[in-house]
Amino acid sequence: MAEERGGGRQLFCRVITPEEIVYDGEADLVVARIADGDLGVMVDHAPLVSTVEAGEVRIREGEEQHVYATSDGFFKVSENLVQVLVEEAVTPDEIDVDEAADRVEEAEREFSEVPEDAEDRDRVRAEIERRRKTGENFVRLARKYQSS
Amino acid sequence: MATLRDLKRQITSIKNIAKVTEALQTVSAVKFRKAEARVKKARPYAENVEQMMRDVARGASANTPLLAGREVRTVLVASITADRGLAGGFNAQVLRRTMQFRGEQSADLAQVASGRKAVAFFRFRRVGLEEVFTGFSDSPTYEKAREIGGALTRLFDDEEADEVYLIYNRFESALTQKPVVKRLLPVASEEDEGEEDASASYMEYVPDPETVLRRLVPRYVETMVWQALLESAAGEHGARMTAMKNATDNANDLAKNLTLQMNKARQAQITQEILEIVGGAEALAAG
Repeated sequence: MAEERGGGRQLFCRVITPEEIVYDGEADLVVARIADGDLGVMVDHAPLVSTVEAGEVRIREGEEQHVYATSDGFFKVSENLVQVLVEEAVTPDEIDVDEAADRVEEAEREFSEVPEDAEDRDRVRAEIERRRKTGENFVRLARKYQSS
Repeated sequence: MATLRDLKRQITSIKNIAKVTEALQTVSAVKFRKAEARVKKARPYAENVEQMMRDVARGASANTPLLAGREVRTVLVASITADRGLAGGFNAQVLRRTMQFRGEQSADLAQVASGRKAVAFFRFRRVGLEEVFTGFSDSPTYEKAREIGGALTRLFDDEEADEVYLIYNRFESALTQKPVVKRLLPVASEEDEGEEDASASYMEYVPDPETVLRRLVPRYVETMVWQALLESAAGEHGARMTAMKNATDNANDLAKNLTLQMNKARQAQITQEILEIVGGAEALAAG
């Protein structure tokens, strides 16, 4: 677990979803959009806990760069271990654009269908809004990274 | 003593039962392996969300009801069972634990049920159900966990419940599943464990612990429900596999005993016939 790693002079990064660990390895630089903007983390960063927005998490490891499209979630740096906890994380070329676009559309429809007088309307809408943002983010990143 | 024909019929029917239970056992074994792998893969997320919850709870001021709780008027219990039976004591033990837990509470009670077995149980006992979730116990999706978690958080937020507990079968192995009670809300206050990890000393929260807390709590509840659903699913298949193995073994034993009895009966019949023939022949010779 978290304690097995870190503490040394090398930064590690883990991207974890409810289904599985998506990325687990060394990193020289991790960039993610946290609550107050983009944050880059390098070795020996101060301990930090924040949220991440639906967006992309970029992990640079030597010459390689790993990119993950994520939903919103949480971000923690502690003892040279970066943890990104998100409900969804996929590489941009795994994104099914049509499916993501459908999600956006569905969320928009549901958003407008929430009855005006529903007692927990704000909460329901906030939930739908999250889904829409994740879908939009997937569409955007697919366009950005998928060449064809 | 049963006749030869009766015994034959019984043996055939028992062998058929054994075939069915063996098939169920095989199917459960496959599903069990899948479910077990899922639980194991999902654990890191749940553990890390829990750890983060502890970090944030430590950093946030304790005056929010999410952490400190409030006067307990209503206790909400969410029980998770399977949709189907034929799994030994799997469902019964969760429901028994639930009833015991309910009996221990002095506050009012509210109940949420997940799984058809739980729903049927509470309906039969005329226990009112706040929310009902069915149809996914053998292969839950995160979507379902979100639905259940959302409902639990909402009941707490709306002050319809002041404490929320989850009761489910924790998966230990194919042979053992233990019913456990877990308090979800208010978030269990940090018990002073001896091993304080180093990260406790200093932690920066962006933008501040309270904001992170507000975002984290619903996800935390979802995650705990998700974990419980996965554990319960793995436990269900494991329990069914074990139950069906026992059933198959019992059926085979029974078939063996009956076959023995049948052979004895047949032997007796043959002996009887020989005796009759010999008796008849002797009677003729004498005459």
